[in-house]
Order: sequence, then C-alpha cells, then structure tokens
Amino acid sequence: MAMSKKYWKGLEELNQTPEFIENRDQEFSQDISIDEFLADEKLSESSTPRRDFLKFLGFSVAAATIAACEAPVTKAIPYVNKPVDVTPGVATWYASTYYDGNSYANILVKTREGRPIYIKGNKDFGFTNGNVTPQIIASVLSLYNEARLQYAFKDGQGVSTADADSEIIAELNKIKSKGGKVVLVSNTLASPSSYKAVEELERSVTGRVVPKSTSVVTEDENGVIGKVVDKVKGVFNKEELAVAAAVTSGSATGAQFEHIQYDSVSYAGIRKANELSFGKSVIPDYDFSKAKTIVSFGADFLSTWLMSTQYTGQYAKRRNPDGDWMNKHYQIESNMSITGSNADVRLMIKPSEEAGLLAALVKDLGGSINGVSSSIPERIGADNVRKMAKDLMKGNGLVVSASNNVAIQVLVNKANHLIGAYNTTINLNNPVQMFASEDDKMMKLVADVLAGKGPDAVFFYGVNPVYSAPNGVALADALGNTTLTVSLSGVMDETATKCKFVVPDHHALESWNDFSPKANEYSLAQPTIRPLYDTVSALESFLVWSGKAERDGKDSKVYFNYIKENWTNTGFADASNFDTFWNTTIHNSVFSKTMASPSSPSFNDGALSKVAKQLPEAGELEVVLYQKAAIGRGDQAANPWLQETPDPITKVTWDNYITMNPTIMKDQGYNEHIDQEHGCTLASITVGDVTYELPVYPSPGQAPGTVGIALGYGRGEGNANIGKAAFQTKEYGGLVTDENGNPKPIGKNAFRMIQTAGGTMEYTAAATIENKNINYPIATTQIHRTVMARNSIVRETTLDTYLNHSKDAYNPAWTLQKIDEHGHHVEAPLAEFDLWDAHPVENVGHRWGMTIDLSSCIGCGSCLVACQAENNVPVVGKDEVRRGREMHWIRIDRYYASNDEATVGQRKDKDNFTYKELEIAAENPKVVHQPMMCHHCNHAPCETVCPVSATTHSNEGLNQMVYNRCIGTRYCANNCPYKVRRFNWFNYPSYKKFGEVNPAQDDLGRMVLNPDVTVRTRGVMEKCSFCVQRIQDGKLTAKKDGRPVVDGDVTTACGDACPTNAIIVGDWNDVNSNVRKSADNKRSYQALEEIGVKPNMWYKVKVRNEENDILAGIQLAKEHAGDHAEKEEKSH
Amino acid sequence: MHKEATIREPLVLGHKTYHQVTEDVCKPIEGKAPKTWYILFAIAAIIGVYGVGCILYLLGTGIGTWGLNKTINWAWDITNFVWWVGIGHAGTLISAVLLLFRQKWRMAINRSAEAMTIFAVFMAGLFPLIHMGRIWVAYWVMPLPNQFGSLWPNFNSPLLWDVFAISTYLSVSLVFWYIGLIPDFATIRDRAKKPVAKKIYSMLSFGWSGRAKQWSRFEMVSLVLAGLATPLVFSVHSIVSFDFATSVIPGWHTTIFPPYFVAGAVFSGFAMVQTLMLVMRKAYNLEAYIHTKHIEYMNIVIMATGSIVGTAYITELFISWYSGVEYEAYAFINRATGPYWWAYWAMMTCNVVSPQLMWFKKLRTSLTFTFIIAIVVNIGMWFERFVIIGTTLHRDYLPSSWSMFYPTHIDIGIFVGTIGLFFVFFLLFTRYFPVLALNEVKTILKSSGQSYKDGTAKTPAFSIEEQHLADVKVKPSITKETIASAVQEETKTVPVQKKVDPITDPVIDPALAKIVTSLGSTDATKKDDLKELTGLDAITEDKLNKIGILTFSQIANIDPTADLALLTAYLGNAGSQANLLVWKMEAEEKLKNDNN
Repeated sequence: MAMSKKYWKGLEELNQTPEFIENRDQEFSQDISIDEFLADEKLSESSTPRRDFLKFLGFSVAAATIAACEAPVTKAIPYVNKPVDVTPGVATWYASTYYDGNSYANILVKTREGRPIYIKGNKDFGFTNGNVTPQIIASVLSLYNEARLQYAFKDGQGVSTADADSEIIAELNKIKSKGGKVVLVSNTLASPSSYKAVEELERSVTGRVVPKSTSVVTEDENGVIGKVVDKVKGVFNKEELAVAAAVTSGSATGAQFEHIQYDSVSYAGIRKANELSFGKSVIPDYDFSKAKTIVSFGADFLSTWLMSTQYTGQYAKRRNPDGDWMNKHYQIESNMSITGSNADVRLMIKPSEEAGLLAALVKDLGGSINGVSSSIPERIGADNVRKMAKDLMKGNGLVVSASNNVAIQVLVNKANHLIGAYNTTINLNNPVQMFASEDDKMMKLVADVLAGKGPDAVFFYGVNPVYSAPNGVALADALGNTTLTVSLSGVMDETATKCKFVVPDHHALESWNDFSPKANEYSLAQPTIRPLYDTVSALESFLVWSGKAERDGKDSKVYFNYIKENWTNTGFADASNFDTFWNTTIHNSVFSKTMASPSSPSFNDGALSKVAKQLPEAGELEVVLYQKAAIGRGDQAANPWLQETPDPITKVTWDNYITMNPTIMKDQGYNEHIDQEHGCTLASITVGDVTYELPVYPSPGQAPGTVGIALGYGRGEGNANIGKAAFQTKEYGGLVTDENGNPKPIGKNAFRMIQTAGGTMEYTAAATIENKNINYPIATTQIHRTVMARNSIVRETTLDTYLNHSKDAYNPAWTLQKIDEHGHHVEAPLAEFDLWDAHPVENVGHRWGMTIDLSSCIGCGSCLVACQAENNVPVVGKDEVRRGREMHWIRIDRYYASNDEATVGQRKDKDNFTYKELEIAAENPKVVHQPMMCHHCNHAPCETVCPVSATTHSNEGLNQMVYNRCIGTRYCANNCPYKVRRFNWFNYPSYKKFGEVNPAQDDLGRMVLNPDVTVRTRGVMEKCSFCVQRIQDGKLTAKKDGRPVVDGDVTTACGDACPTNAIIVGDWNDVNSNVRKSADNKRSYQALEEIGVKPNMWYKVKVRNEENDILAGIQLAKEHAGDHAEKEEKSH
Repeated sequence: MHKEATIREPLVLGHKTYHQVTEDVCKPIEGKAPKTWYILFAIAAIIGVYGVGCILYLLGTGIGTWGLNKTINWAWDITNFVWWVGIGHAGTLISAVLLLFRQKWRMAINRSAEAMTIFAVFMAGLFPLIHMGRIWVAYWVMPLPNQFGSLWPNFNSPLLWDVFAISTYLSVSLVFWYIGLIPDFATIRDRAKKPVAKKIYSMLSFGWSGRAKQWSRFEMVSLVLAGLATPLVFSVHSIVSFDFATSVIPGWHTTIFPPYFVAGAVFSGFAMVQTLMLVMRKAYNLEAYIHTKHIEYMNIVIMATGSIVGTAYITELFISWYSGVEYEAYAFINRATGPYWWAYWAMMTCNVVSPQLMWFKKLRTSLTFTFIIAIVVNIGMWFERFVIIGTTLHRDYLPSSWSMFYPTHIDIGIFVGTIGLFFVFFLLFTRYFPVLALNEVKTILKSSGQSYKDGTAKTPAFSIEEQHLADVKVKPSITKETIASAVQEETKTVPVQKKVDPITDPVIDPALAKIVTSLGSTDATKKDDLKELTGLDAITEDKLNKIGILTFSQIANIDPTADLALLTAYLGNAGSQANLLVWKMEAEEKLKNDNN
C-alpha cells in the first residue's frame, strides 16, 4: 500500500482553508516593507540603537578573538629516553676530588636533576677520610656565581673561543719565531696530566722539554722513591722519567718557556729547610695520628695549615679520652687560632721570639745550635719549655711551625730530628706534592715585568698575582707592557682584568682533572654538570695552543681522553685490566700506591748557619697574617656562604680586622665592648709602605705585642668583577661604591703586607699602629665572650680526673628530692620528675637523637656551611648579622674562660666571684667550642606557646616546624632556652636588601637550592629540623631494603660534614646504635638539663690533657664530699 | 534617695542644678571647639598618621624593620602592648568595680576613663596584630572551622588566651561604655538643633525616651555588666602576665606575675586617667565635677597599687636570691646592674618611690604635683614592661646568645604613633561625646552636690525661675527692678534663717569678703550695669551685687593671679575663671573709654 500516513500542522492544513493556502508560501506572516520598517518612528526609541548593536558586535568579536588566544603553557616534557643516572627526586652522588691549590679533599658531589647542590667528604675512599673544610663544602655555590665568565674576552670585549685561540696561537708563533720568552704562572698543579699538558705547551714553544726539579737544587738524588718529586710529575715512575728525558731532544726553536708555580700562601720555607737539613726539597707527610705530643708553633693544622683535611681527622682520633691514648697538644702562637683554641696548653708568643724559643727547646732536647741564641720569653717560662721537651722526648713527638722562614723551619727540623720524629710522625719519603710555590722565581718574574724586562707572553692559570703578590698593584700596571697576557680565570678577577685575553676555565665541578697530592696518592676529579657557559677546560686550552688538540665544543672529551691516555701510557699501562682499574678509580675517585715507610735521614748541622741571618725582624708591634677558616686565601671571597660563616674564634662575619688582646685594647683606648651599635675602633696600621685603616677587634689570647690580620679580603679592587658578595652592600641593598663608581671590596688586602726577604714570603712583620678613634660597625654573631661559669651548659675536665675518678667528679647528675613510700626524703634523678605527660617516644618507633663530643669538636665551622647548603638557609649580609639576625640553623658557641673560672664553665670559688669579672675573658683563656642547634626537646617550651600549633612534636621525637602554619608571633623563639630559632625578618628570597648576598635571589644562585627543603617565606620561624628530609630518605632506603634503620642510614648535614666525627646522629631507641651508646656514655650530659625540657641532644664533657690543679681540686671535692651539700643545694 | 553625710566632701561643687549639669556637659559638643582643640587634634593626627605610615612600612617590608634580633624577639611591640592594656585597665575598674562598691565619685570620671580604656585597648590590640610575621593569616588564632581538617589553635598557648581575654575585655568594655552613653546621647539628641547632628544622635541613642521602665532596665544592665566586667579586670592582665609567666625564661617564669600585673595595670591606668582628667577638667571647665577630691581619691588608688607593685618588685628580688637558681638570680642581678640598669632604676624610681609621696595630703591634693606624678608613673610603667621583656630576653640561659636591643625609628614611630592615634580618638570623643556621664552625675547631685549638702540650694533645683534665668540671656519681662526686689526680698530673709552660709552670705564669709574688699571700695550709688559685660547675665549680676561688687572698676581690679576659687565657686556656672578674666578686660576697656 502506498504511504497513507499524513501529518498536518493543524486543522487549517487538513482543511486547506484559503487563509492557509494564502499564507503557506509566505516567509513572514505579515508583510512589512523595509521602508515601512525603517520609517517606524518607534524604532529610534528602541533601547538597542544601531550603535549599541555595533558595540555588542565589536565586543563579541573581540571577546571571541581573545578567547581564541591560547594561554602560555609551561610544559614539562618527559624524557624520551631517561638518562640512566637522573631520576627526578632522587639524588645522584659522584665521587670526585677537590683541589684549589691550597686544600685537597676526596669528595662526594650530590646532584639533583643534573645540578650539583651539595659537597661532602668521601668517607669511604681517599686519605682525607671524608674530611672537608667550610671552603670545600661551599665551593658548590661558586659554580653558580653570577660573575662567572660566560665566554672568552679580548681587551675586555667578548670574543669567541675560536677567535681567541687563533689570535693566541698567532702571537705564540710570533714569539717562537723571534725567540722570545713565554711564562706560565700557575698555582701548584699537583696534577700528573696537567703537568704533561703544560709540557705540551712548553714543547710547542721551545721545541723541547727540559725536565726540571721543583725548586732551586736537588742534584743529590739518590734514587729514593720519595725523591721523585720533581716537576715532571706527568710521569709516574722512573721508567717514564726516561721517556720524558727522551723528549728533551728535539729541534729547539730558540724560544724560552718557563713554568712558575706560585701559591698565594706559600710554604716554600718548609721545602727549603728540608732541602738544607736533609737535602730533600719536600714537604713531608705528617701523621698526627701517631703523634703523642704535638708542639705547634702557630701552625693552624686543624684549619688552614698544609693538608688540614688530613690532619684534622688524624688529630681527632687521638683526642678521644676513651681511646687507647690521648695526645698532648702544646700550641705556641700569636693569634688565637682554631688549633690553639683546642690545645691542651696554649702559650702566647711574638713571631720574633719563635726562633729563640725553638733554640731553647732544641737545647732542652739535648741538641746544640749555632747561629741562633736561645731565649725564652718571660710569658712562656722555662718551666713550660722543659715540660714540652720532656713530653717530646717520650717518643712519637711532633713539632710543627707555621712560619715560612727557612731558619725557623730548620730549627723545627732539628727538634724533630732530635726526638726521632722522622721515624714516626714525619714521613719524608712520601712527600706532599702540593705547596710547591716558587716564591723566588715569582718575585723575579714580577720584578722583570716591572722593570720592563719581562717575558713576551704570560699565561695565568689558577693564580691571581695582581691580588695576591705583595707588589700586585705595580704588577697590574706593568702587565700592560707585555705583548701577550692570557688569563684562564673563570671570573674577571684582578689579574684577568689586566690581561689581553681571558679564556675562562671551567668550574672545577664541570671538568675532568687528576691529582697526585702526595707521592703515593692519585685521584680523579670528574664533572658533575655539563658546562653552564661557553667556557673551556684550561688544560684543553694548553693542548689546543700547543697544537695537540682541536676544540670539541661543550661536550668536549679532549682533556678526559688526555688524562686517560696519560694514565694508560704511563702509570698503569701494565695494570692487568686497565678498563676495570680506570672505572674503579673513577668510581672511587682515588687510587693509592703503597706508601714508602718513613726513615730518618741525617740532619745537616751546617744548614742553619746559611739562613740564620734571615730571622724575622722584631718590632714593638708585630703583625701576623693568617687565613680564616672560611675565606682562606680569598679565592672564594664572593661566596656569600663563606662570607657569612662566622670566624671560629672571633665570630665576626663579612670583614677582616686587626685582632688584638682586649687587655691591651683597654689600655690603648680601643672599644672592646662590641655590639650592634658599638662597633670597633678604627686604627691605621702600617707595615712597610702599606697603611690600612682597619677595625680593631678584641681577641683574647692574642699575644700582647702582636696583632693579627686575615688574608683573603679586599678582593675585587680595580673594577674586578668576581661576584657581588665580595663587595660591601648598602643598608637597603645595592653595592657601596667609591668615588670612581667602583664597588668597594670587603676588608683590606693583607697580601700587600707580606714581606719577601730571604727568598720566601714572610707572613709576619713589624708594624706600627695608630688609634683613629672612629667607630666602625662590625658584624659578629656572638657579643658575649664567657659562659659565666654556667656548669650546666659547658662541662670540662682533665684527662687525669676523667681516667681516675668517677662521673660524680666531672659530670655530676642532676637530682631532686622526693618523698618515697616510707615518707623519707630521697634523692632521685631528674628524669623521674615530670610536670607533663611524656610523649610516647621511648621504645616506640624511632627517637632521633644526637650527641656532640665537646672533646672532638674543634669549632671549624664545616657543619655550619654544610647545614646552610643542605637546608637552603638564607644569607642575610653584614648589616643583618650585625643586628643579630643571622639565619644559621646551627651555630658554634665559642666560650672563653674568665679569670674567675678554673676552666670554661667551672667557677673557681663558689662564693667568691663577681659577675662583672666573669664577663671578662682571661688574657690567654681556655676555649670551648659548643655547636648549638635545635635540641628537639621532648618537652619543648616552644611547642606549648605557639598559638596555632605551628611547631609540634613528631612521634619520632622531632620538634617540627610547620612553616605554612606559622603566623610569626615569635614566642617560640623567646621561650627557647637554647635560642636556636630563627625568624624570617624579611623576605630573604626577594627583598632588595639581600639582592647582593642571598644566592636565592638570582636565577643562577637559585640552582644550588636543595629541592627537598622549602625556601621559607617572610614572617615565619625556622630552625634545625635534624635534616628531616634525610631522615625520611634514610627510612625509605631501609624500607626498600626490607630491613630496620641502622646506623649510617640517617645522617644530618652537620654530622656528615664534621671532620672529627664529633656529631653522632641516629635512633636513640635502638639500643645498639652509636648515638645510644654515646648518649649513655659517662661523659654525656644534657645542656640545661635542670629546666626539664628533656632534649634529644647530649653533649659529652670536654677532656683536656692538661694539668689543672684548681679544676681537679674542685671536681675531686665534689666526688669525695659525696656531694651532699651540692645535691642539697640543687634540690631546692 | 541615697543620703550622704554632710561631713563627706561634696562631689559636685557649687550650686549646680540639673540643667547646669546638662549645660556644662553639652557645651563642648554644641558649641564651637576652641582653637587649642584644633591645634591638639592636628598634632595628634600628624603623629598618628606618621605612626600609621610606619605600620604600613612594617607590614610591607617585614618585622625586620624593628630592632629585634634572634635573641630578643619581642621588645617595644609587646612592651607597648602591655603598657596600653595596662592603661586600659582603669576604665573598667572605675566603671565596674567602683560601681559595685557604690563609689559615687566614679560618676565624674567613668565616662572618659572608659573611653580611655577602649582607645587604649585599641592601641594595645594593634601590637599583637602587627607584631605577627604574617598578619594576613592572623585569623588563624581564632578557633574557626577551616579547610585544614580539624586544625585548631593551640589551647595551651597563653597567646591564644590573650586573644580571648583581650577581645572579651574590649567587647564588654565597649558595650558597658555604650550602654552608659545611651541616655546621654538622648539628652544631646533632644537639645540638638542641627538636623544632621540630631539624626546621628538619635540613631546613637537607640530611641531612648527616658521612661521609668527604661531607667530601670538601664540600671539592671549596668549592674549585670559591672558584674561581668569585674572579673575581666583581673583576668585580662593575669592572662597578659601568662604570656611571660608560663615560659621557661628566668625572669619571666614567676608565679607572682598575675597579681602584680593587675596591680600594675590599675596603677598605670589611674595615672593615665589622672593625666587626661587634669587636662580635660581645665579645658572644659569641669572643675566643679572633677575637683580635688576626685583627684585625691585617684591618687590614693595610685599610692595603694604603687605600693603593691613595689612589694612585688622586692618579692621578686628576694625570691630570685632565695631560690638559689643560678639563672633566676642572675636575671635579677642583671636587671639591676647589667647594661640595662638605667631602665631598671628608672622603673624603680618612677613606680616605687614616686607614688609613696602621695602619703602627704598636701602633695596628693596638689594638681600640679599629681600631674607630674601621673606622667612619671606612666613612664615608669612603660619601663617596667621593657624591663620585664627586654632585659629578661637580652640575657637568658646561653651567654653566647646574649644581645642588646636598639630600637629603630620604626619602633619609635609606631609607639609614638599610637599615642597620637589615642589622642585623636580621645579628642574626637571629647568633641562629640558627653565627657561626663551627665545623667549619672544628676543622680548624685542631690546627695553629694555641695549646695545640697549645706542646704543652700534653692528648692526645687529646677525652679522655673532659675531655669529661665539661666537659659535666657535677657528676658524682657524680667527687668532690673523685679530682680532687685527679688534680691531685696531674699537678703531680707537671710537673717531670719540664722544659717551660716559661707558663700551666699558675704557678711559672714570673711574669705569672700576679703576678696571683695581687695577689689576696692565703692558705694551703691555708683553701681554700673554689669550686664554689659559679655556673658554676664542678670543672675550673676545679682550675685555680684549681693557681695558688694557693683562697679566696673571693681571688676577691673580682679587679680587673675589671686586665688579666686571661692569667687568662682560662688558664681557657679557663669563665673568661671576664664569669664572673670574676660570681664576684667572688658571692664578695663570701659573704664579707659570713660576716662577719655
């Protein structure tokens, strides 16, 4: 059937009415003509006129257009192929080596997402045993210094490396053809491959290589292994020496090449003295771990002297009173040094008195001396010298001296020889290959340049003589006359600004290198990041300039291949499997050969007569130039972490100054009460023709008649751009500028005061001083010097008391009286008394704890810098530190003993003392360093007072700080008995005041931030977290391994960095853990235990190996009296 | 009605009528402000605005703009806070505690003391807010439901108790003050002529009509609020003291703090009340209402609380020694002999020594002396708080962290700024609010008013005659003659009464007579029309004539340096010292013209 269904719209359609038919085909039901429509009068009155319509239209179009625009999308692009060793969120560690020409350490570099962010010592491999210094830890930040050069420069204008290369090569060719002279000035390279690369340059210039020994003469080589210390360290053994000798033949070009090794702080005196005494121009290997008696004349071997990274650990090993034996340490010095502050006996001396005293010591040791008359300064006393001699004679003695004076070092050698140290504590056969500064050659070069007789070309690598040479200012002007001057510096430093070419070297963390710090030690440094800029490895540059290699761009492997080839060809070609050997060495970063054992050579008694005339000059006032733990030689003066690290002794940041004994200052009218508004008095000090105005800072223990000035300041003179942090900043940000608009450096350059008599740099000199009576604001983190005899903060005892008497004598427990069930008053330990419900932490899960051994802590400051790096602690600059607002989470309190104290923290007489007297440090005080950070109290006073519970207790015993809950009332900080909480007074990551100092303020510096730790905002409190991110990490590691957390899983940055293992961290609930054992030790006590905050931190009584009758008397009285009176008193 | 023994000194001097009370209190609101008011207001406003600027800088930049450091985390901020809260204590004590104890003398001072309280608490409350590192999350101290789950404030924290204590105190004080103001606002409303003022005051007065029922409820509410506010007087400063007492810091950790803080607060509060009252009574001619007796009463309170505070200081010292606690002992030795010894001894001198001088009646009734001591006490109490906060924190347990505090200009700016702001508020208050609780004063007028006590008041006090005469400058219907006859009649009645009246009877009161004689003699024939002098109405002329002052020359002879209290008291409202001086000058002018 056909479709019969029909739909209609209405009856009209069904019926097909005429109206329907009429309308059906019309679009509009009503027919209105357009004219009629437009002519409608009412139309103009309509609320939507034509213009509005256009507006709407326009708006719609615009809106549609804008809506169509795409918002910028920040894309996180996943790896197509993930690099093997980069997992986001997981740190990768690389073993490497740190060497800056002055300190050496085997290190581990932590990288996150390809960025190196943290450096720590390598505890598993290498002779430095994981010891590092503040400078080494902080060096990671210098990688992100915004002043680093990003490409090569010619006459101050940027050029491509290729252009620079070709011009330098062209210049070199010209010099070759005319038979000119090329000089390479470098620091002590101590690197086999670098020496070889330098040789390549030498060969290309001269056509041959002349193997030379390090210093003036070492003709009498007898073939002893230790003797192969000449400069051709590119080779490893005698066979290779022959190979090297072979290359000396060749067609000479007639041009000359000289390689001068020059260290800004020189130890040439020791080499020369050894040469004279034993015929070996070496720096011997000292072994402090074998030394039972150490007599140090100003040698700061725990901080900056020679290989302190090695010595610190060795020394600390023998400072443990629970060990087999404890060394006895005499320090005779002018400045109060870190080492001196740790000494058992510290004596004060003027530098000019050292030779006489040494002669007296030698005499007491049974030796005879010609040419130097012995004299014992009154302050020392013959008694002390006799004691020293007696102790030294017991065997395993060691005498060291910081002096760079050859005569003094010869005397030291004599003393050591007399006590037989060369068979035990000193190894001449395994010499240190660092510190090969050729002071005399350098002085001659500078003189030549100044006289216009200089070489045609000078290359500067790793040195900055314009800054560090005594006559650097003159050198800077004279350098312009040299045809070709090339600096390989990574920043536009004082020397680089005077050079025609600057071909910037990679940062050490970007490049390969190898080192041989000691005769038997070899190590590798590996890059941990792709070069940030268009810099080139300096050693590759040498190869390129000598025509041995081509540039290979950013990822160049030229130098890596060169090192590998060198190692293959020379040292280890015969290793059974070189590839395995090579990979293992890279993994470990080190390789040690067997050490030659020490032997006692014969002492040349005629040695002294040659140099005895060159003893340091005596003066009414003598200045001693020293290195600070953090700033050292000033290489890292632009490193804000280091600038802000308080000096371990004076606690001053961001400045150098004249240290003077406060008793002398009082007499001479210098202000000795320093605080925020009362700064130091300026004095003008003159050494030779150098006069500086420097603030005078009180330093108890500074020998009267001497003052100290730190090297390494005054960097960035003459418009050198080494980084913002090296310059003075204004109160509200920006750099202070001088009249020429150049930024003003921090401090004064004390290198200019170095005396150069006798062929070595002398770091002491006679000086005159004049009080200028001008107030100079100074930033110090501690304005009070003593502990006010507060025995519950610092406890100390003598070795004798410790070994022979009970705990009651030196570490009495706090007790309170209670009433027992029989109604009797009985003594009970403090721990039994509790106002509060205890947190259920004991024996439940973990309870993180820490012990700090005051015997081991030397106060070096490594923990502080490590903490700063680990926890993104902001740098606040001088003005804020002066206002007492440094942000360090850990600080090292340094306490001097007063005259009313038998030792730090022990009042001589309970009833007879005055508080005023207790405030004044003794003239030559005992010193205690006490690291102080959050104690993670189980009854934390901070926790109860926070109105918003922003600081709470974890079930693992940690006191946690919840930044985003904090509203900043600061009550917690007020209520902290240890004063370890730090408040964000400003927005450190963005407020302009900190633009020059806080690395978190520039894009580059921000790369050093640890992504595991929040960067805190303004207005919140912060403090030590016990490195909770590491604790979590350690717990996860253990969990992944399916085992309980054990020692070593959890460390804090401070504990990790501590070179003496004074800081032990771990799970206190684990009865087998190190920290539990340490906390249960009879030396352990809790600071301020009597206030009942129940901290998770323990200190261990400091034990000094000294005779201190007063202290022993007090402590034994305590023991014998059964302490009835004492306890009675406490119970109130 | 409450009766009071005549032997008690009157609380309202002179012959004040209800109407005069109203007039006296409303005059500053209705009249034009004197020039001094504008000058003072401008100074206060400038200082206040500077303070606000400092606060904004602080909020924009960070707490580091203050002189605080890692050791001293509170200094001027909390010092100022406690100082202002302390000042704020007197108001509620006066209005609540004294109300409960039916101390009628509080009527004259309670209104402005309460206003002072509220403004002081404003200033005080500012400091805990701005001292926070992150003021924008200050509301987290409130127990509010939040997106962090069940995250509550820490009820253990004294700072949290502070929040509750201060906010409760402020709200109760505010309500108490406002309730008291309602009838007075109604009075102003009823008198207001300008429409805007009328509108505003009628809103403020909440439709008060003065019916007996309303008065009854008013009394009830006042009593209830007084009951509520009384414990607050003690709780607030106790809790403020917990900010310190619950800590472990030697020098703070002390159980004596709560009572000692409360006493100190009342001490400083009364000193501030004295400071303000002494100025205000002069500026607004309120000598009749706030007179020596009031000042003396307050001085006694100052002396008593000052002694309590002094005892507390000594007790603290003793306990610090007796405890044998090394840190505790040192904290106090350090206060007295350490680097901040001057602050300690300033505190001791100002707070312990100076109030003891009030034992001498001569001193405690001397207005100048009182004013000086009041200022000294306020300074002393500021130092007390600084000593407690600053010098405790600067040297606590670890000598390594010992430090010194140096204020920055922001510290100073904000402190001074709050004083400026406080006076801005207070000056506005004196311009637009009734500075005396006028309706309350009226309740004691008949029991404690001077003329009612000695019986010389005309009864009824609001007789049509006096109302009109006081109200209207010169009414045509009242001629000189009618007045004169009235006077004659009245004088005639005096001997009949046989009553000793030192003021209205010039013959018997030798002191007043002496003043009159010192003006020079005259006889009744030379009588001048004294009404020609500005503001001298018929009644006053009548009074003057009665005691024998008839001529311009006599008025011109008035010695402004002499003690005219008797005369001004006699003349009452119209005859203030200021008016006398004006008349004297005008009289001199007239005499000069006559001679020419």
